Amino acid sequence: MKQNEENYKNCFSEAFEIEIEKISSDLEYNAIPEWDSIGHMTLISALEEKFDISFETDDIIDFSSYKKGIEILQKYSINFS
Amino acid sequence: MPIHSSLLKKPRLVKKLRSFYKYVNENDGQVGTKTRGIDLNLNNACNLRCKYCFTNSPKGERVKDRLPLDVLARVADEADELGYFEFDLQGGELLLRPDILFESLEAIKPERFYLYLTTNGFHLDEKMAKKLADAHVSRVSVSIDSMDEATHDRIRGRKESWRKAIEALKHVQEAGMDPYLNITVGHYNAFDPAFEELLKYSKDQKYKTLINVAVPAGMWSMMSEIMLDDKDREHLYNLRKEYKNLIRNIWNPFDKTHEKSIGCTTVNRLYITPIGDVLACPYVHIKIGNVIEQSLREIVEYGFSIKHFNEHSPICLAGENKEFVKKYLSNSGQSIFKPALAKDIFPEADFIDKSNLKIHY
Repeated sequence: MKQNEENYKNCFSEAFEIEIEKISSDLEYNAIPEWDSIGHMTLISALEEKFDISFETDDIIDFSSYKKGIEILQKYSINFS
Repeated sequence: MPIHSSLLKKPRLVKKLRSFYKYVNENDGQVGTKTRGIDLNLNNACNLRCKYCFTNSPKGERVKDRLPLDVLARVADEADELGYFEFDLQGGELLLRPDILFESLEAIKPERFYLYLTTNGFHLDEKMAKKLADAHVSRVSVSIDSMDEATHDRIRGRKESWRKAIEALKHVQEAGMDPYLNITVGHYNAFDPAFEELLKYSKDQKYKTLINVAVPAGMWSMMSEIMLDDKDREHLYNLRKEYKNLIRNIWNPFDKTHEKSIGCTTVNRLYITPIGDVLACPYVHIKIGNVIEQSLREIVEYGFSIKHFNEHSPICLAGENKEFVKKYLSNSGQSIFKPALAKDIFPEADFIDKSNLKIHY
């Protein structure tokens, strides 16, 4: 769903406090200073709130990129296609 | 791929961090009695002579002492079990003796913690930064007093210290660890343009900036005039809105509005001296136990049984609460090595009965 992808992207923008235009699908953990350990936990919390889910610890660790995050969210029945 | 020191390589840390985050959220944003971090003075020897050192290192106090490795390993295991997720190694200056530092890291097993070093950066070159990242160190904090080289060097008592500190932070960033620029702020410099100059530099370099408030302890013992007042605090509040990379241990790091305080973190963040004494925090020089003689759990329970450390305080007890400082932290000679004893300075009425004590591990 397009709306889900938009919400997903907004979570990155809010968590890292950077303009939405700067969030690309190639983004990876630690590739920008904002996506550090604090940024990561803030992102996880923003996604949990937005999609009303609770991540397993393993998924928080596997969440290493924008693309990987989409894969993980699909496990929680969030549809992106 | 994330480096060894990355959060994504530390599943145990993620679990504890998440538990902390959930607790704080469910507790109206307050830290309450949730365990958070261990500040360990590994060794008090230092190569600089900073004017405001809170450990009395420039006076040469206890510079040869350190915790036995087996005790350190046990304390780290206990801390992990009790949910402590941060481990801040400090001194003295840690990089004076890398041999001690690396054997201590091995004993602590940093893969379980958000482990960081607080250093003056003098001996932190590119090679050392890589070695630290490989040893699972997540962050390095380097203290800088001014963007003016001469001012910093004068405060630190050694030439070249500014240049080395600035370079050290670059090496930390390049090695993939979290670079933190530490600034000490008190009433004497809160409105000084030089302070904001440092904030701008840190932001431009994409570092985090950690504010430590000046405390009347150690070399500045009894100097309560250095403490922040209401105006200074309001100024910091406004700066926090402007500089989103600004952090204080008392502030909620996950607060998107950049407004909330989780509260003073006495006992939530314990301070352990090289002789094993446990103080309520690095700046509250009140002893609540000794790790050589007691288990960490016993010490934590005792610490939280003291109402001043159990109840929420929106401001830092040692750096902002003048009444607390006057009453409990102004004994002549009180220091990290000569702390006041909690049982001597607090009346019985200040202790919470064990049956009413709730600690969140």
